[in-house]
Amino acid sequence: MGFLLECPNCGKRDVYEFRFGGEAHKRPRVNSSSEEWMKYVYMRENVAGVQQEWWFHRLGCHKWFLAIRDTRDNSVSI
Amino acid sequence: MLNFEFNGRRMSAFEGDTIASALYASGVRIFSRSFKYHRPRGLLCVSGRCPNCLMSVDGVPNVKACTERVRAGMKVKSQNCWPSLEHDIFSVIDKIGRFLPVGFYYKTFINPPIEWSRVEWIIRRLTGLGDIEEEIASATGKGPKDGRSIHSSSFEHLNLQADVAVIGGGPSGIFAALEAGNAGARVVLVDDQPALGGHLRYSGETLSIDVATGEGAYSGLKSSAVASTLEKAVRDRPNMTVLDNSTAFGIYESNLIGIVRGNSVIRLRAEQLVFATGAHEFPSVFQNNDLPEVFLGRGIQRLVNLYGVIPGKRAVVVSNNDSGLGVARTLMDAGVKLEAYIDSRKAVGAPETLAEIEDAKVQTFLGWAVKEARGSKHVSSVVICEVDNEGELVHGTERVVSCDLVSLSTGFETEAWLLNQTGSRTIYDELLREFIPRELKPTVYVCGDLTGIHDLNIAIMQGKVAGLSAAVNLPAMERSSELKVEYQRKSLETYSRLVSQYEGKYREGMKRTRGPDVLVVEYPGSDKMRKRFVCVCEDVVAKDISLATFEGFDDIETLKRYSTVTMGPCQGKMCSMPSLHLCSRVTGRSIAQTGRTVSRPPYVPVAMGALAGAELHPVKLTGIHYKHIELGARIMDMGEWKRPHVYTSVEEEYKAVRESVGVIDVSTLGRLDVKGRDAGKLLDFVYTHIFSTLKVGKSRYGVICDDAGIVLDDGTVTRLSETHYFITTTTGNVEFVEEWLVWWATALRLDAYITNVTAGLGAVNVAGPKARDLLQKLTTVDLSSGAFPYMSSAEGEVAGVPCILLRIGFVGETGWEIHFPAEFGEYFWDTLLEAGKEFGVKPFGVETQRVLRLEKKHVIVGQDTDALSNPFEADMAWTVKFEKEDFVGKAALVAAEKKEPERMLVGFVMKDSMVAHDGDQVFSQDGSRHVGFVTSSKFSPKVGRCVGMALVTPEHYKEGSLIRVKSDDALNGAEVTLAPFYDPEGKRLRA
Ligand code: FES
Ligand SMILES: [Zn+2]
Repeated sequence: MGFLLECPNCGKRDVYEFRFGGEAHKRPRVNSSSEEWMKYVYMRENVAGVQQEWWFHRLGCHKWFLAIRDTRDNSVSI
Repeated sequence: MLNFEFNGRRMSAFEGDTIASALYASGVRIFSRSFKYHRPRGLLCVSGRCPNCLMSVDGVPNVKACTERVRAGMKVKSQNCWPSLEHDIFSVIDKIGRFLPVGFYYKTFINPPIEWSRVEWIIRRLTGLGDIEEEIASATGKGPKDGRSIHSSSFEHLNLQADVAVIGGGPSGIFAALEAGNAGARVVLVDDQPALGGHLRYSGETLSIDVATGEGAYSGLKSSAVASTLEKAVRDRPNMTVLDNSTAFGIYESNLIGIVRGNSVIRLRAEQLVFATGAHEFPSVFQNNDLPEVFLGRGIQRLVNLYGVIPGKRAVVVSNNDSGLGVARTLMDAGVKLEAYIDSRKAVGAPETLAEIEDAKVQTFLGWAVKEARGSKHVSSVVICEVDNEGELVHGTERVVSCDLVSLSTGFETEAWLLNQTGSRTIYDELLREFIPRELKPTVYVCGDLTGIHDLNIAIMQGKVAGLSAAVNLPAMERSSELKVEYQRKSLETYSRLVSQYEGKYREGMKRTRGPDVLVVEYPGSDKMRKRFVCVCEDVVAKDISLATFEGFDDIETLKRYSTVTMGPCQGKMCSMPSLHLCSRVTGRSIAQTGRTVSRPPYVPVAMGALAGAELHPVKLTGIHYKHIELGARIMDMGEWKRPHVYTSVEEEYKAVRESVGVIDVSTLGRLDVKGRDAGKLLDFVYTHIFSTLKVGKSRYGVICDDAGIVLDDGTVTRLSETHYFITTTTGNVEFVEEWLVWWATALRLDAYITNVTAGLGAVNVAGPKARDLLQKLTTVDLSSGAFPYMSSAEGEVAGVPCILLRIGFVGETGWEIHFPAEFGEYFWDTLLEAGKEFGVKPFGVETQRVLRLEKKHVIVGQDTDALSNPFEADMAWTVKFEKEDFVGKAALVAAEKKEPERMLVGFVMKDSMVAHDGDQVFSQDGSRHVGFVTSSKFSPKVGRCVGMALVTPEHYKEGSLIRVKSDDALNGAEVTLAPFYDPEGKRLRA
């Protein structure tokens, strides 16, 4: 039914106000190997645990931010 | 009096009656037929916790008759019986008893003994609960044209917030709420009953309350009177919201409580949660324990004290705890003759009450239990036996007591499911024989019967402790004065001390009176006891559980799935404890080791419609919308937008654009404003094209790809100043493009600011050979082709309105896309049409625009491309600028360019008069190979035949290649064209 997420600009809000932007991972350099690019484009860690991820405050300040979320219980820290 | 209908008969009820109380008072005893054996079933819990009274009410199936209030004129029907409740043909299954052993469906239908089709109709009649009535089915299915159901409008969602949410409005919950409220917290109290007070409303007792609790004033009063006083105290408080008739059905992350109240779902978010959810009774398991008029004790108290119904004439009270004594009192007070009081314990906790019962010449049997109930459609007698120390019945001690009512006070189960959903645990307490809360999560508090302790003094103090703790632990409360904090700390200490004192005494008492465990009666040496029902929902008997456990399903979770015990409508409320006892007995493991099954939300059934909420669809209208309506346009949906499909006819509108001038409302285009020192840099990175070199006052087409090289969107980019760009995106995709741009600006740390200006701007496209003549009438901006060439832009006034003019040509004619403040929409539109009269201007709709653009082979992203298309496949290689050091998608596109594409977007012209459809399959010329599919196709007035675009294998990417389009089951010849069908050199566009 939706947990609370703390936007650095607006404070704690219902997660439905946000768009999930996926796991944060580093984009390879343009001339990196195709394996590296393949991993970046298609592979995800999908951890059961803590990960850093992007969120966009769609119904608020329209800003992207990084949050640390535990995927097991959706507890979030910034 | 209220009148309603039951199975076609007229019934009457008092105001405040439930369906069940009204029916029972009118003599109805059989309320349903059981799921498997079609045994008659009567009221059991009278609190909405068992499956026995499910009925269909006004066409809605599976309504609990014992909690649903009677409304005048409602139509109630019994379920799961055929032809009637009293005479159910399928009840013969009950007579042939062994017909459906545990695992019957698994075992029998893995390899069906007879053809499925021959038995299906019987099985279908035998299984399932309730029917969805025709009118509802049709309304929710095909129903009215707009696809909406007749019921949807009545569902809604509400959002609430609280400092402290108290779930359960019994005495402990009320005191928790009051205490938290006193401490300054905003409290929401949730209770599933129409009035607060919990069992005080119906226990009928005279209260005795310890002065030390601070509530001694309530001592000596009737419990129902105290309930009303407390309810008033709660409702009078300004910082308190009472949600009655509301059931919390789930606890979700961040303390979100899902609550169902009638047709509404309430989402309540609270800082602190107090669980005062209480406990419910469940029946013990003996032969024929499911006969009508075998009740749970509190069910009888509800019937008598809430609804004034006399439940029978001669009653037997069966008990193993002190609440049985209370039921005996209730029955005697109501004038029901008590035939016997039977208690499996040798001593009781309230000897005074026992003495009163004995004084009334009632036979009492201490150390006895019920072996079986007798009767066909309702109970007529019980057989009782002495119990030995192990809890087994003693041979030869049988006595028959005739009666027409049996009350069971055979155990409480704490209502801990919601609590468990917070992640807090419960453990089995051997002394109390209940699962009690342990290891509470932060922000979670418990009180009352939920703690496994059934004592009013303790409940009051536990409630105070819970409420006060919840309040003082509120983050916002830290700011209150030191004096207050000190006072609260002191009170908390005092309350807690009192609780542990009382609790100690309570446990002492439990030890003194503790008897053997006879939850499931066993009669050694007899295999006749086949009808000991553990689960009344799914008709699972004690033998089924033992058998399943023997067969190896001895883990409580697998036992549940195999035997279906706890999986019926009651979700284990009636059967989880008895089945646990059986399982532990067979396996030799303790109850604690056996453990309970996990229960997920929803705690009670919630209508899908309530979860879905009101059927509200956001609709976006352009500033010119009502002008289109005035002009008689046919309106179509485009995502959330409404757009004119066609005004008069495609032919007429097409002709206007191609020969004179047409106007179309394109306010639905996404518009983004990008500003900042790095604006050009950002766009270079996000688009495949280059925009940092674009001259101020120029526009350029651009494609956005992701890092897989897939086309995400396209549009025009216009440079308004060195640091200011104006972007258009595909209709309906602007939110995505905005997020995409903001993300890259953030990730690359660029000085670029993106604002979505779509809603603020209206736009029209004025196109056709006479477009210039028309517009020049309204503006001083020089529109001549020298001053304002193709793909350039200007800011200036048109008809006195400040505009951005873009010289672009989606439809392939001389034209301007004009963006202006949305509020001028209607004025702007009218002025254009007025000024264009002399040229024969016509408004044109989406359908005409589609024909016009297809003749130009202009791609629509999402229609002519899909989730696998890169710009090469879309025949837009020219938009990809590899000379840029890096951009989104570059690595993937570099790789893609080296490879032969798997398919290419081509144009085609049909050979004959056939008009292909979007999505038609494309084959090779000889029809032997499937080579692709049509993405767009329309009849082209210019060509005089159908033209289109298709994604095909690359061997057909050549002018004149022959293909066949499969339309309406025929393979129709077509010829590939790579150039636009209309004005291939773009002369008209540039004119
Ligand atoms: S009697 Fe209605 S649900 Fe139990
Ligand atoms: Zn925000």
